[in-house]
Amino acid sequence: MSNLVFGKYIPIDSLMHKLDPRAKLIGLFLMIAAVFVPKSWWIFLLIALLLSIALLLAKIGIRMIVQSFKPMIMMMIFLLVINSLTVRTGDILFTIGTFAVYKDAILNTMFVIVRLLLMISITTLLTATTNPLDLTLGIEWLLTPLKVIHFPAHEVAMMVSIALRFIPTIIEETMRIMNAQKSRGVDFENGKLSEKISAILSLIVPLFSVAFERAYELADAMEARGYVPGAERTRYHVLKFRFLDFLFMFICTAILAVSILSRFYL
Amino acid sequence: MPIRFKALSHIYNKDMPYAHKALDHIDLDIREGVITAVIGETGSGKSTLVEHLNALLLPDEGSLEILDYEIKANEKQRFLKPLRKDVGLVFQFSEYQLFEETVLKDVAFGPMNFGYSKEEALKRAAEALKKVKVSEDHFDVSPLELSGGQKRRVAIAGILACDPKIIVLDEPTAGLDPKGSKEIIDLFVSLSRSEGKTLIIVSHDNEMVYNYTDDTVVLSHGKIVYHGPTDELFADKEKLKEFNMLEPQIVTFRNELIEKGFVLSREARTLEQIASEIAKQVKR
Repeated sequence: MSNLVFGKYIPIDSLMHKLDPRAKLIGLFLMIAAVFVPKSWWIFLLIALLLSIALLLAKIGIRMIVQSFKPMIMMMIFLLVINSLTVRTGDILFTIGTFAVYKDAILNTMFVIVRLLLMISITTLLTATTNPLDLTLGIEWLLTPLKVIHFPAHEVAMMVSIALRFIPTIIEETMRIMNAQKSRGVDFENGKLSEKISAILSLIVPLFSVAFERAYELADAMEARGYVPGAERTRYHVLKFRFLDFLFMFICTAILAVSILSRFYL
Repeated sequence: MPIRFKALSHIYNKDMPYAHKALDHIDLDIREGVITAVIGETGSGKSTLVEHLNALLLPDEGSLEILDYEIKANEKQRFLKPLRKDVGLVFQFSEYQLFEETVLKDVAFGPMNFGYSKEEALKRAAEALKKVKVSEDHFDVSPLELSGGQKRRVAIAGILACDPKIIVLDEPTAGLDPKGSKEIIDLFVSLSRSEGKTLIIVSHDNEMVYNYTDDTVVLSHGKIVYHGPTDELFADKEKLKEFNMLEPQIVTFRNELIEKGFVLSREARTLEQIASEIAKQVKR
């Protein structure tokens, strides 16, 4: 479970880590839009190049990015098969028996796969370089305009940040309970169905009781420190846009602009 | 045959930018049939060390010999079940492992996983519960309804019922009141002394370590900085200072008595032993 890469924060220091979470969030949206607009390989190459520079600046190894692709492999194969079966335009590329595979099928699949890979890399870049708590601050800031229509932006952000905060804790508890049950002879990997069910039960029941206990304790601790939902609050960490953040958002906007223009001129 | 760590290393988050070497070429022989304490500051690798003993963690380098099993780095494990039956691990806050409908069923869960028949497992469970002094009125109660101390006893019975040859305790008394802790430690010590079981205790509690253990292993930053008799370690003021440890109260008391002119041996580790040594001298 600890080798789960997608969405994991890497606590090191780099230029990308220093950027304002709001700038990174806005950048993420701009870049994802930029990935979905163009139909030219040159633009994909450009985005991939700039992304590699950003990953380099974030000190994220290629290995980690490649690992985050792994869960998508099945989906890519599925896409390739479905596209080969359904797309019947363009030149015939090759035939298997009497079945012809068309050029557009492969091309379409490649487009989707490249877009997916770029999107995953962009998201990994964001989550790996942004502390989850900063990320929720950023989300809250982005949701603030919705307060006009009585959307509980702060409460939603608080819930998200509590959930994020407790993911590692719950993973830790899970590992601990798994270890305790393994020591009592539970085999989580092999065994008959009935044994598997009993193995899962021996994990789920204690996990639920721990989670509820944690929730009660947290609620008490928050109330003891005067937390009132919806009350006006001041912040210890005040987010501030700096020159680099503007530069970063400008670059992302420029990429989006180029990719939109490419639809008309390339 | 001792439990033998041979140049064993363990690395967390291998291949990640923040990889962390929790154990660094550990060479260690733990004697069988005695009580060994493992101490060290938080993050020194104590838990990592003991989780290798029943192959919850596998070495990244080096090997571990325990009973008739040998665990080597980069090798698939085939004897997990018999090893885990023979080496019982009681975790910190072990009460969180309880999940069955009744106390008796929960304690029988381990033995049943290790292949005992249902009747045999229930018999062993009842015996183990008696050992930890849980009364029969509680056998059919849900373990989640018990008090904290009772839960801990039931969890410990769950390990004892598997009849392990080696028992590893990771902070067995954390969060218990002094009376409850003493009872649990006394239980394990008497088990070790009467049945010759090897006991390995991870602890922060120097007083407990000094009072009950034969050998002590001190870990610091994933390396062993001391391994030897417990009384020798706690008699050595410079070592204690070096390891940032407090002298047990009883040692301070004994040293003050010696300063006042009493002749006391290093073996006098409890109030009773000190008193009897003094009594002998007073008679003369």
